[in-house]
Amino acid sequence: MKPASMRRTPTVWALSAILVTGIVEIAEAAPGPHEWLDRMASAVQRTNYEGTVIRMQNGTVEALKVVHVVTDGVVHEKVIVQEGNGLEIIRNGNEVQCILPDEKSVLVEEWNDQSALFASLPSSDIRFGSEYDVSIVRTERVAGRKTVLLAIRPHDGYRFGHRIWLDTETGFPLQTKLIGDDGSAIGHVKFADITLDKDIQPSALLPSISTENFRWFTNPKRNVSPEVETHWVCDQLPPGFRVVSSHQEELPGNDAPVTHILYSDGLANVSVFIARSRETPPAHPSRVGASNSFSSQVDDYQVTAVGEVPAETVRQIATSMRRSD
Amino acid sequence: MNDAIKMQISAFVDGELPENEAQLLLRRMSQDRHLRQQASTYLMIGRALRGERSVAGMTSLRERISAAIDDSVQEEGPEAADAEAPRYLRPLLGLAIAATVALVAIVGLQRAWDVPASQPAPGALVDTGYTVPEPPNDQLREYYLRHSASSSLFGASSINTRLVTLQLRDGMLVESDAEGVGPADVDAKDEPDAGPRNP
Repeated sequence: MKPASMRRTPTVWALSAILVTGIVEIAEAAPGPHEWLDRMASAVQRTNYEGTVIRMQNGTVEALKVVHVVTDGVVHEKVIVQEGNGLEIIRNGNEVQCILPDEKSVLVEEWNDQSALFASLPSSDIRFGSEYDVSIVRTERVAGRKTVLLAIRPHDGYRFGHRIWLDTETGFPLQTKLIGDDGSAIGHVKFADITLDKDIQPSALLPSISTENFRWFTNPKRNVSPEVETHWVCDQLPPGFRVVSSHQEELPGNDAPVTHILYSDGLANVSVFIARSRETPPAHPSRVGASNSFSSQVDDYQVTAVGEVPAETVRQIATSMRRSD
Repeated sequence: MNDAIKMQISAFVDGELPENEAQLLLRRMSQDRHLRQQASTYLMIGRALRGERSVAGMTSLRERISAAIDDSVQEEGPEAADAEAPRYLRPLLGLAIAATVALVAIVGLQRAWDVPASQPAPGALVDTGYTVPEPPNDQLREYYLRHSASSSLFGASSINTRLVTLQLRDGMLVESDAEGVGPADVDAKDEPDAGPRNP
C-alpha cells in the first residue's frame, strides 16, 4: 500500500493536468530565439514602413529617410540620404534609380538580388551550425516600441556577431548592430522614428524632386558564369565554412578567367579569387566598411580572400589555399 | 550647440546614454545634421583612442573622381551640355555621373579612407600594433563587387553594401580610359541605349 502522500485523488490529478497544460501553453506562447528569427524574416518581407534610420559606421553618423512598400512580392523602396547632396535611391523591383539632384542626373542600375535596407539580416532558413549561439537577451524600447533583443554570438573570432532588436508586435527589426571580435560595434543601424504597416500612398515612393530635364545613364549588366568544379582547396578553412559556389569569371585586367570560390558558414560569406599572376606582390590586407580582404601569392597565382569577417579570417583562408591536383 | 548636448552625444556614441534619453537624442539627430556631424567627430575620436587607423587612399580617389568630372566637362565643351552627347563620350559621361554618385555615397559611408597628413603609410605597423590596411586597388574593387554580388544571392547584401559598391564601382570606372575599351565601352557597343536616355 502506498503512503498517503503518494496517493493521487481525482482532484489532484485534475489540478496537475491543468498545471501541465498551462506550462505547455506558456512555453508555446513565448517564442524562442529561432521563432523570433522566423518572425523577423516574415516581417521584413511583407511589412510596409516609413521612417528615419540613423546609421553609424566607420566613424560617421548619417540619417536616411526610408519608405518601403511590398506589393505582390515586389519591393518598392525610396531612400533619401540626408547627408551630402541629397542622393535619392528609388527601387522598383530590380530596377534602381540613383538620383543626383545637384547634377540633374539619374543613374539607373539593375540589382538582381534582394538588396533592401534589412536584407543582410539572417533569414529564417539560415543554416546555423555550431558556430553561433542565438539567444534572447532582454526587452527594450526602441523608436517608442517594445522590442526583444536577440544576440547572435559566434563561438570564435573567425566571424562577427549580431545584435537585433525586434518589434514584439510585428517581429520587425528596429535596430541592428554588427559586433566585432573585441565586442565593439562595427556597424549600427537604428530607427529614430518609424510607422509600421502604414497605408503608404504610391506618391510617397516617387522622387521628392522633379527629374524632368534630368539626364539618364545606365550601367552595364554583369554576366554570371555557370558553376564549375575547382581544384583549389583551403587547408585551414575556419570551422563551419563550406563551399557554396565556384565559378570561372572574366574580370577586367585579367587575360585568363579568375576562379571565384564562395565559402559560407550560413551567415558570414568569404569569397576567394584566384588569378594567374607571375608577379609576386607582398601579402597585404585591405578593408572596406565591415569587409576585409587579404592577398597572397601561391606559386603562379594571386589568391585574394574577401568577406564580412575579421581580418584574421581572410588572412588564414588566403594563405592556406592550394591546388589539389 | 551647447556643452550639455555635446556631453549627451558623447555618452550616446559610447553607449552610456540611458535609452529614453538616447531615443530623444536620436530624434533630434535625425533632424539636425550638425548633431550627426558632432557624433561622427566623437566616433572618430573613439576610434583613434582605441588605436584604430583609417586607410589612406580616398583622398586620391576623390581627386581622380574630380579630375574625371573636370575632364568630361572640358571634352564636352560648354555647348554640349544641352545636346545629346557624341557616342564616344557616353561612357565617360556615365563615368562622371557614376563618379558623382561616388562622391555622394562617400559622405557618411566610407570615410574610412580619410586620413590626416600624418597618417602612417599603408602597410606600416603603427605603435598600437595595428597594421594599416592597404586601400583597395582596381582589382580589389572588382573583387569586392563580385563578392557583394555573389553574397547577395545568399541573402547577405543590403542597401548599405550597395551604397558602398556604388562607390567602389565608381572608383573602378574612374580608372577607365576614355579612349580605351573599358566595361562601359563594351556595353555601349552591345547596347544601343547605353548612353544617356530619357525616362
